[in-house]
Amino acid sequence: MNGFKYIGGRLPREDARDKARGRFLYLADLPSDALHGALLTSPLAHASVVSIDVREALELRGVRVLTFEDAPDTLYNSGEWFPGQNDHPDETLLTGHARHVGDRIALILAPDKKTAREARDLVRVEYSALPPSVELHTAEDLSQTLHCDGVRSFPGKIEYGCVDAAFSAAAHVESSTISTQKVHHAALETHAVLAVPSDNGVLEVYTPCQILFGVQHVIASILPLPLSKIRVIRTNVGGAFGGKQEVVFEPLCAWAAHKLGRAVFIDTAREETIISTRTRAAMTGTVETALDDDGRILGRRFDVTMDAGAYLTGSRKVMMAMGKKIPRLYRIPALRYDAKAVRTSTTPAGACRGYGSPQIHAVTEIHTDMICRALDFDPVEFRLKNLVHPFDRDPTGAANLGNARIIDCLERGAAAFKWAERRTPSSSGRLRRGAGFACCTHGNGYYKTIYHDVSGMSLRIMEDGSAVLRGAVHELGHAAVPAMTLIIAETTGISPDRITVTEGDSLYDKYDIGCQASRGIYVVGECARLCGERAMEKLCREAEALWDRPVRRSESGLIIGDETIPIGEAVRQIEMKRGTSIDVTVEHRPENNPGSYGVHFAQVAVDTLSGIVRVEKYLAVHDVGRAIGRNFVEGQIYGAVQMGIGMALCEDLSFDARGNPSARNFDKYHLVNAPDMPEVEIILIEEGEEGGPFGAKSIGEISTVPVAPAIVNAINRALDTELTHLPITPAVIVNALRKPAPTPI
Amino acid sequence: MDVHFTLNGENMSAAADSSTRLIDMLREGCGIKSVREGCGVGECGACTVLMNGDPICSCVTPAVQARGCDVTTVEGLETDGELDAIQESFVTNDAIQCGFCTPGMILTAKALLARNPSPSREEIRRSIAGNICRCTGYIPIINAIEAAAARTREENTAPL
Repeated sequence: MNGFKYIGGRLPREDARDKARGRFLYLADLPSDALHGALLTSPLAHASVVSIDVREALELRGVRVLTFEDAPDTLYNSGEWFPGQNDHPDETLLTGHARHVGDRIALILAPDKKTAREARDLVRVEYSALPPSVELHTAEDLSQTLHCDGVRSFPGKIEYGCVDAAFSAAAHVESSTISTQKVHHAALETHAVLAVPSDNGVLEVYTPCQILFGVQHVIASILPLPLSKIRVIRTNVGGAFGGKQEVVFEPLCAWAAHKLGRAVFIDTAREETIISTRTRAAMTGTVETALDDDGRILGRRFDVTMDAGAYLTGSRKVMMAMGKKIPRLYRIPALRYDAKAVRTSTTPAGACRGYGSPQIHAVTEIHTDMICRALDFDPVEFRLKNLVHPFDRDPTGAANLGNARIIDCLERGAAAFKWAERRTPSSSGRLRRGAGFACCTHGNGYYKTIYHDVSGMSLRIMEDGSAVLRGAVHELGHAAVPAMTLIIAETTGISPDRITVTEGDSLYDKYDIGCQASRGIYVVGECARLCGERAMEKLCREAEALWDRPVRRSESGLIIGDETIPIGEAVRQIEMKRGTSIDVTVEHRPENNPGSYGVHFAQVAVDTLSGIVRVEKYLAVHDVGRAIGRNFVEGQIYGAVQMGIGMALCEDLSFDARGNPSARNFDKYHLVNAPDMPEVEIILIEEGEEGGPFGAKSIGEISTVPVAPAIVNAINRALDTELTHLPITPAVIVNALRKPAPTPI
Repeated sequence: MDVHFTLNGENMSAAADSSTRLIDMLREGCGIKSVREGCGVGECGACTVLMNGDPICSCVTPAVQARGCDVTTVEGLETDGELDAIQESFVTNDAIQCGFCTPGMILTAKALLARNPSPSREEIRRSIAGNICRCTGYIPIINAIEAAAARTREENTAPL
């Protein structure tokens, strides 16, 4: 027992019943008389539109067509979530200069979906093909053909310590080059948005989004409307994984509705969601590590190139987030992180679960295993020697690491996984077995970064002792709402089934910077806890004033003198006789941004004939500070492992020399399904993190961070290979194992 | 033309032409919103319905194929507001996160347990191979189906 009534328990989530009954409705399920918008997108990776003939389409009943010629040429950046962030703007609502397959040329509107799609097929577009740019190493030279802003690439640098001295003094220098691919988020709900011109000049935008006020901001930067006239309402979300963090179709939909004075609904098919939204950013990185004789890291140098895709989007932010993780996992006395984001004629990248962490940990953790092989260090011992300790400072001046329990994670995990036994590869017939692991860190909000971090909420305890928590919470399926419910239940004693948590509506909600940066528990959850605390403080204070006796709290209400009064009755009496409601507002600014930590262990069996990898055994160990809902935390980890195995082995949105995508649907884009999913054991380290609600910190993003490197390390140990370019598909393995052809004499 | 079929135990008639997909007839003609499109090519299983007891992807099935058939969606599983054992088990075993795949997943499980009341975990995995879930990693779903099977077996063998 942990001393809590609800925290750390396993309560079923309240929305599950409706979801099991099919009654939980997503945006595309809601009745609407809106015009249906079908996107006309470019079939070519790089082309200019010579002519666009819409006459035939307009002959269909009720059809309207908006092309790039009708749209404003205002440039914006879809990854900007606050006015003045000044992320380089290079995207327009629609374009006559297509920069990737799937780029938006026109929006075809009709009274129904079928007519809209029929009309789209009748629009005749003549394109003039331009040279595509798909390779990272030539992207800078081709940048002027893609964009006329004169920017070749977007550099970023992080440096501290005497890097050159560290490398000159090193006993060993090891280097690796590692690349990761574009990954599709694959939320099962495809992208959709509804915009409705409403009363008083307000434009309502209904969207399954992750950052309510970010949507509002980007729309306001394009339409001639103040923020106060744009009401963004978060609809039920069928998964997001970062894919609904950037503002993709909302500005176009809002503009069309505003221009036509009609409600407009844009609904996308899987193909559009894959090639016309955002991806995990692909990157290639070279890392060098300087070591002393004992295997202590003296310094690290990085040279990273990130593929932003056709528009910069939030990719530069992702690139910088990658670099900032580096000094928060190992003690690195000197670091130079040189990176640049380049634009190519491929699907734009952006936020994706982990926000660069899976990429940079793929680089560092695969490389760390390579170091151990080259210098004959045990990978556990090597890491234990170099990992950060609790309350280490971040050498870049960013937030203190907090109660960083990565060493506990590794020691507990290595013992539970029986690393000492499993570390030796084995083979039987054509199968080879090996084990590997990877360590990782991720953040908890934005404190001590260049971004601000604030969450506002209010809590009202009602006259019957139930409660409503009002906040811009974004439930994406990850149990944000049930977690807030448990936090309020624990702080107030009100049972969870009598608590309602509202979700995002920009017209009524206090400001919150949204579901990003793994801040949902540490920042938003703490705001909820403070609401609960302060509401109970006010209740007790008012009760003492009203009854003029000391007041104590008990499970069934307030103990006033020797009488127990239920909370609801106390609230009623206080409202009537003292003229105040038990309604408190909290605006919470975090005072730290500690690291969350984790280690994942995997054992794989590789079929050397087919190249097929089977993940046979899996252990995830996480330093979560404290689990709010144990089942919610486990659910995040299970799903994250599924996503990470995909990144390691099979998920790949690549582009051929002409810029054509390798996949447009799940027939070619391979997700891990149930037969390929291993059983996953979980160990949680719960040592508490100051500043988080009941000591809790993030889990949703970090849980997918170490998966791919853990599996790649296991494969490389099993096969004695040095595979470093993800994904490690069967073809990659078969090629790696193929004996070199005999040299002709 | 009108397609006559049985939907969740009741006679139903809905308009469709030769190009109408079953998913569109159910969503637009019959008001069944639990049948959702995740891919449109029969790869993700979100649009699964039972046709004469077999799970099929309604996004790649012509509506006219439902003529004279018994079609079950997740709305047809509950009795007088009481959830089916599989639905209940999904709720209590944390098999539901975003919920988008849930109706299709439950119907696939329903078909499995009708055919095989005591499936192994491996058989459960194989049966839901065509249903993609991005949230749960399948593990709680497999647990839920296993628990529903056990509960159904207990109820069927309990003395009256």
